Amino acid sequence: MATVTSIVVNRETGWDAVFVHGNIDAQAEELLKGVEAQVTRHQVRFDFSEAGRINSMGIALLLRCFKNIKEIRQAEITVSGLNTMNTMLFKMTGVFLLAKPAE
Amino acid sequence: MHAHSLLSTKETLVRKSTTVLAVFADAADEKVWEQELADIPNIIRLRGGESLSHTLSTLRRLGLEPGLVLISTRVYPHGDHNPLPVLRRHFPAIKLILFSAADAPPLSLSPLKHNAIKHLVVEPAGERTGSAAGSPLMLAVFNLLTDRQWQMADYLRPGTPVREFDIHSSDQKEALIDALTEMVEGDGPELELLRQKGALLADELLENAIYGAPRREGGAKMFRKGEQRRLLPAEHIGFRAGFDGTTLAMEVSDSWGSLPPDAVIEHLASNQDGSGPAEEAGGRGLFIIWRFLDQLHVTIAPGRQTVVGGHVRLHGDDDPSALKGFHIITRQPECAAPHNA
Repeated sequence: MATVTSIVVNRETGWDAVFVHGNIDAQAEELLKGVEAQVTRHQVRFDFSEAGRINSMGIALLLRCFKNIKEIRQAEITVSGLNTMNTMLFKMTGVFLLAKPAE
Repeated sequence: MHAHSLLSTKETLVRKSTTVLAVFADAADEKVWEQELADIPNIIRLRGGESLSHTLSTLRRLGLEPGLVLISTRVYPHGDHNPLPVLRRHFPAIKLILFSAADAPPLSLSPLKHNAIKHLVVEPAGERTGSAAGSPLMLAVFNLLTDRQWQMADYLRPGTPVREFDIHSSDQKEALIDALTEMVEGDGPELELLRQKGALLADELLENAIYGAPRREGGAKMFRKGEQRRLLPAEHIGFRAGFDGTTLAMEVSDSWGSLPPDAVIEHLASNQDGSGPAEEAGGRGLFIIWRFLDQLHVTIAPGRQTVVGGHVRLHGDDDPSALKGFHIITRQPECAAPHNA
């Protein structure tokens, strides 16, 4: 799994798609801070299928990012592509309270 | 502790001839743990409830001073009568181990925080019918009765090599995580999940030691998470790990000893009940470590050394809400390795 983090926001029909690549930790702070400003729709779909390890700092940054998107952009967030490990991590840290898993 | 050491374990406990009290909720609870505790000599089995105080008074009159009390979580915190006040009134310096089956009802850590519980052993369901000497509970009993220090190798098969690394710079973190995951050889989803758990655990343990442990006088952190740093001239961080084919054990030591022992369970409890620092940078690290390990060990020599680690099994419980055990041990500074600074 790539350890160089990148976050790409694409405008799709009806939603914004956010593709997360690599590990999410303190190094991802500036990238995640910039996501909210790129959101234009009321539906935001985060794709974690290319994401690697997410540590506690990464969880804190994701929670802040999701909270900003919900509060400032009034958008609903869904997440997809989570591996077993990151699904467990999201459950135990309350991330799913802010972002629902895609069906 | 390995099964082959059963004989020496029993002999040691017999020689110690220390009385151990075990407090159960009822006969059914006692029956569940019958085999588990069979190898503990001088064990007195009691039922929690209103008659406990009278029983303890009788024991004191008989001159029986227990060295250790084991309390089933079905008595505390789940039961109607908290036995801790009466136990501590009769035996103020008593050592306590709370024990639970992994499949027992969920348990809130808040009462444990308020009652200063330092040892919670969660026994995997499969091991309750196995060798008692190999169980986490028996190991905890042995270690507390004999004042033996927990060792990472206790959870690994005999002869399993333990790799040790000295950390000099934050730049080593990813290489160490790679080295750890390479130790877990093999294919398949369970091994891959174990590698991912190991990688996250190593990440959190190392970040805590590199960025969380160094403190100024007054307690302020010296370094920001994610920044590149070299260790201070006399600072030491060590990383140790071993994998025996089914169990991955690891620990990280730092030479600060800056983690207040009471803050450990406070941190775990506040994150468990959702009152923890949701967005605070890195505020959930120790909680995540506890949740992914089967048994968390924190040994603190204040101002001298902190060692955090534990083990995780290949076929462990993957339920994120499953109860996990912990041992929080405070050592006298003279027992610890010399401090760097």
